[in-house]
Amino acid sequence: MSDKPRHLVQSVRKLTATTFVIRIDRHAFRALAGQHVTLGPHRFAINREFSIYSSPDAPYLEFLIIARPGSETACALHQAQPGEEVDLAGPYGEFFIANPADRSRRYLFVATGVGIAPFHCFVRHFPGLDYRLIHGVARVEDRYELADYERGRYVACVSREEGGDFKGRVTDYLREHRVEPDRLCYICGHSAMVANVYDLLRGQGVPSDNLLTETFF
Amino acid sequence: MKVAISYPPILNDRGQVAMVSQNRNVQYFKIPTYLLPVVHAQAATWLRDIGCEVRWDDGNAQQKSFDEWYAGLLAWRPDVVVFESTTPVMKFYWALVKQLKGDLPKTLVVMTGYHSMRKPDETMQACAVDVILQSNHIDFVLKKLIPYIAEHADWRETCEIEGLFIRVDEKKVRQTGAFKRVEDLDLSPDVDRDLVEWKRYAYENGNYLRTPGTYATSVIRDCTFGKCTFCRYNGPDLTFSIRSVKKSLDEYQRLIEDYGVREIFDDSGVWYRGEQARAFARGIIDRGLHKRGCYFGFNTRFAYLDEETIALLAKANFRFVLVGLEAADAETLTRLNKGYLPHQACQNLEIFTRYGLHPHLTIMVGYYWQTAEQLGATVSTVRELMFKGLARTLQVTICTPLDFTPYHKECIANNALLTDDYNDFDMSKLIVKTPIPHEAYYQAIRDMYGVATDPRFIARQIRFLASGRVRDWEFLFRYGWRALRRVRNHVYNLTSQERG
Repeated sequence: MSDKPRHLVQSVRKLTATTFVIRIDRHAFRALAGQHVTLGPHRFAINREFSIYSSPDAPYLEFLIIARPGSETACALHQAQPGEEVDLAGPYGEFFIANPADRSRRYLFVATGVGIAPFHCFVRHFPGLDYRLIHGVARVEDRYELADYERGRYVACVSREEGGDFKGRVTDYLREHRVEPDRLCYICGHSAMVANVYDLLRGQGVPSDNLLTETFF
Repeated sequence: MKVAISYPPILNDRGQVAMVSQNRNVQYFKIPTYLLPVVHAQAATWLRDIGCEVRWDDGNAQQKSFDEWYAGLLAWRPDVVVFESTTPVMKFYWALVKQLKGDLPKTLVVMTGYHSMRKPDETMQACAVDVILQSNHIDFVLKKLIPYIAEHADWRETCEIEGLFIRVDEKKVRQTGAFKRVEDLDLSPDVDRDLVEWKRYAYENGNYLRTPGTYATSVIRDCTFGKCTFCRYNGPDLTFSIRSVKKSLDEYQRLIEDYGVREIFDDSGVWYRGEQARAFARGIIDRGLHKRGCYFGFNTRFAYLDEETIALLAKANFRFVLVGLEAADAETLTRLNKGYLPHQACQNLEIFTRYGLHPHLTIMVGYYWQTAEQLGATVSTVRELMFKGLARTLQVTICTPLDFTPYHKECIANNALLTDDYNDFDMSKLIVKTPIPHEAYYQAIRDMYGVATDPRFIARQIRFLASGRVRDWEFLFRYGWRALRRVRNHVYNLTSQERG
């Protein structure tokens, strides 16, 4: 491993009390938009998978992370200081946009919480993408870096308080706002949400070939 | 509908039986090893629950000869027979389907499993199978498919259940679109232990220190990580699904209280981690199941479980931790997409053993790039870990490309395969070109299994007795002889190529 460049922390950007974006050196690390890595503090006993939040064009790598109590890797990264080293492996996964050059394609992105990370990566990397992003969060403050999404394309479904674009869960929103069957739908989040949204969209006539899923754990 | 979920006894020319069922890699064993195919067992349970007449037809576990098994199936005259495919037994299955279709022309044959789901056209052409499931969620799909077939005479033309290849007629095959990757596993029932005759699987399994043991209904299908290139559970078509902690705890309680199970193993590709693992351990303790004389075990991976979680698992009477140490060099781990670094293996094993868990290492040799230096690093690391007591048992396999995993495709793309005869993919020999002679890998296998009889290993096991843990005494005095018998069997299987 000694010939590999060391990935050092550049910054930790706090978004809420528990959610943050960690930025690290990219070096020659190559990944496609939508892929993820395993990441952890240097020589730490454990690591965890995180989707890449930044665009593949960016000169750095960013990850959107929530540090829940008991999530040892995330909590350690939350405390990381600029200049500290992290261990990175990957990239992994095939949660891609297969043909971004096809401008006639319309997309639906559905995420909960930090499951928005790959979609942030998509919209930063593919300007002009015709997308609608449905983001399920508990609180208004969890609408992470809202300005990065094109106005009118982002819908915040806030479940625990008023102030979002919709009060309730993403499944509630999708029941009230039917999805056109020709949309290419990407779903990212916890297993139960992914399964529920899948069933809902299938029920609205979206063919299974148009449904792509990425599960967080 | 009469549905048989069938595992025919498949014997090789050395009289060994193929273990197909839900093992990530098929192997032939002379000494019986019976692995409960959990997902198919859930499918059987679910079909029975919705009114089907189900035949749990595991000819291996029922210790039948092929002729006995086949005659029994014919006599039962099923409407549907379900098989599970994997590369080394595909030719057997194609011939069997031909034979079965000749004897029971009205019986529908459904092929499941990781080989045919990735190469459905091949199996459609090679035999008269009626349906191929591309989904790994056998239970969810069969629960929809079987009633649909029963209710629709024109099912071949009209069925729209996702993830199927359906033979419409002699010339036409239909595909019904991508299958649903993520299912809510709480909807699928616990395995009905009586239906699958659980005791047939309760004794002959090297993972159990205490018997009767059993496999739990898996909490994860297939694997939370799912990136290791050699594993069936990798690919763009797959992700994992999860079962709730409570549902699983309820099953553990029933297994202990109603069936008297004394060791429970969860064969999920990678078991829970983080909060769910801790909640599970706390649930075991809260229900008092940790004091009922039953050990628990699971598969995990390095860099997954933190110390707090491991301590809690140990308190909850977890014992057996099966973890893959596929190599000891960083290059190989990177090429295999293992997602951990060599130092993390050692760190994690130290924590496991500090809390009295018994780590079981699964090691592989024979990657098409593996040099003498890399192989030597694996052997010396494994021996050192065993002598230090950082791992208690091990299992070595020859890395065999199969089921069109990424590694299998990589071997094809790099022209590394020495054979394209599926019968050769049975893990009994190296079938890839390697930078050093094959004999070196067979010797490495012997060197690693040789640890079991090394005085340094035995002395370490004796020193473990000072811990005062019952499990350490059981390990040495009860498990030791069984383990030696299995070691001899493994060495025989994996180095037989040299004997000709």
